Amino acid sequence: MAPTAPDHVPEMRRSASFAIDAVDLGVRYNLRFNRKVTIRQSIANLLDRKGGNRFWALRHVDLRVLHGESLAVIGPNGAGKSTLLQVLAGIMRPSEGRVDVEGTISGLLGLGVGFDADLSGMENIRLGGAFLGLDEDRVKELMPSIIDFADLGDFIDAPLKTYSSGMRARLGFSIATSVDPDILLLDEVLATGDAAFRAKSKARVIELVKSAKAVVLVTHDMDWVLEYCNRAMLLEKGRVVVEGKPDEVVKEHLDRTAAATEARQAAARAAGMDPAALAASQAALRGRR
Amino acid sequence: MSHGEAAIPVRHASGTPPALTLLREGIDDILSRRRLIRYLTQADMKKRGSDTLLGNLWWVLDPLLQMLVYIALVAIIGKGLSHPDYPLFIFSAILPWKWFQSVTTDATSTVVRQERLIRQIAFPKLILPMATTFSGVVGFLFGLIPLAILLLYFGRATPHLAWLPVIAAVQFVFTMAMAVLVSAANVFFRDLGNAVGHLLRLWWFLSPGLYSLSNVHGLLGNSQSPLATLASFNPFAVLFEAYRAVIYGPPDGSTPPVGPPDLVALGWLLLGSIVFAAVAIIFFKRVEPDFAKLI
Repeated sequence: MAPTAPDHVPEMRRSASFAIDAVDLGVRYNLRFNRKVTIRQSIANLLDRKGGNRFWALRHVDLRVLHGESLAVIGPNGAGKSTLLQVLAGIMRPSEGRVDVEGTISGLLGLGVGFDADLSGMENIRLGGAFLGLDEDRVKELMPSIIDFADLGDFIDAPLKTYSSGMRARLGFSIATSVDPDILLLDEVLATGDAAFRAKSKARVIELVKSAKAVVLVTHDMDWVLEYCNRAMLLEKGRVVVEGKPDEVVKEHLDRTAAATEARQAAARAAGMDPAALAASQAALRGRR
Repeated sequence: MSHGEAAIPVRHASGTPPALTLLREGIDDILSRRRLIRYLTQADMKKRGSDTLLGNLWWVLDPLLQMLVYIALVAIIGKGLSHPDYPLFIFSAILPWKWFQSVTTDATSTVVRQERLIRQIAFPKLILPMATTFSGVVGFLFGLIPLAILLLYFGRATPHLAWLPVIAAVQFVFTMAMAVLVSAANVFFRDLGNAVGHLLRLWWFLSPGLYSLSNVHGLLGNSQSPLATLASFNPFAVLFEAYRAVIYGPPDGSTPPVGPPDLVALGWLLLGSIVFAAVAIIFFKRVEPDFAKLI
């Protein structure tokens, strides 16, 4: 269990001040059915039901985001950060526990929402809006600002397959950020397009973060965490390691990363690859050439 | 997801709701996202139309060419099967079959193809097979053009054609149920995509499309044998016979008068299709939350 297990008081859960209240979340991947399974494989796996082909991408995660809060979720690759956002967004059903969400929730979990290569930019905006659950009038209302922000010029009426990847990214970002949710989920969407568009999109995200009632953000950008978040959570291997003030959590994360690197180097040394000896052998190789 | 109103907490919890709740949610998904289904259907239409020189004309040409293939086939190897005005005889089966076949084939990939979207946003996945089903309806409507041409050519147009929407409605329910079922099943068993083409071809040749049900009965000895009974339980035996009754007439007479379809058989098929659709929707809703993990 995490060292800082949140001490949730049951009656507190009914209070209206939270935006997201997740209790004991767990997501189990069943490798039995994962990745293009064929019937033959799955019969083999059925016979091996008790086998270790399940793993928890996320387990025993308690999380509460209050209105007005901005929570950063950090951690190494494969820690379960994106899975957590998918559960919060309702994309994935938790295998354990529950999430209560109060307010409209919208996620920028990657870009390219509603994209169909054969349709024009304009039609993609309509399709994307419908996927995001916006009603027709709202899409009509938002259309000019989406087009303006994507800055595609006459290409807006051309099929998407004629777009450059930068143009696609711009349109995707523009559609995805046009919704104005109460709760915003962000998954590493800050690096897209050229330098000019990146600056523009960063400004847009900051604007959304400021106007949303609550934000949950997954990122590797520690400066962003320190600057824009008022709480942070460190995930590792699907478990919460520590949760609290951004500077403390970021420090913990960096310390642990450094320690892990140190440990790897130590292991390498122990395996007989002394860095000095390695350097000497490389020098010898170079000398021979 | 609605905007503006004060929020009621939404809960995502582990565990599966009871079947009837799933069914209600599924129907609600479809009804509340009609616009999205329409957009997806339109996008699909557009895609089929673009990239080819003849564009949407293919909707009309496709069933006609298929008809020619089968006419040639029967002329060469199946002489005994031929009926008067044979093109119209088989076209009345090719038209509904193409609808079912294209929808079922497309439905196997309709969910898995949207992998990116499914992992990025929460939306009711049921709209995907629904859009596929409606694309099929549009194809069927286009197919009525060559049907009209054939009817005029053979001078066989009658007021009984007014039954067509009724028969098509029954087929719609059955086709939709199949689309919902295979679209979800293919997420778990990708083999389905490979198998479905062959299974459909087998189904077509086992159904009285190129031949009439009475041909089968003749072949099996009489219409009371268990195999003959089984053959008439085939939904497409019922549907083909119904389409043929209003388009072509009973297959045994040489100048057949057309008449209403067998409404009792159609009624049973409709009932069965509704049950099938309910089961398919419940199955789909049950496995839907796992799509994002498996795709």
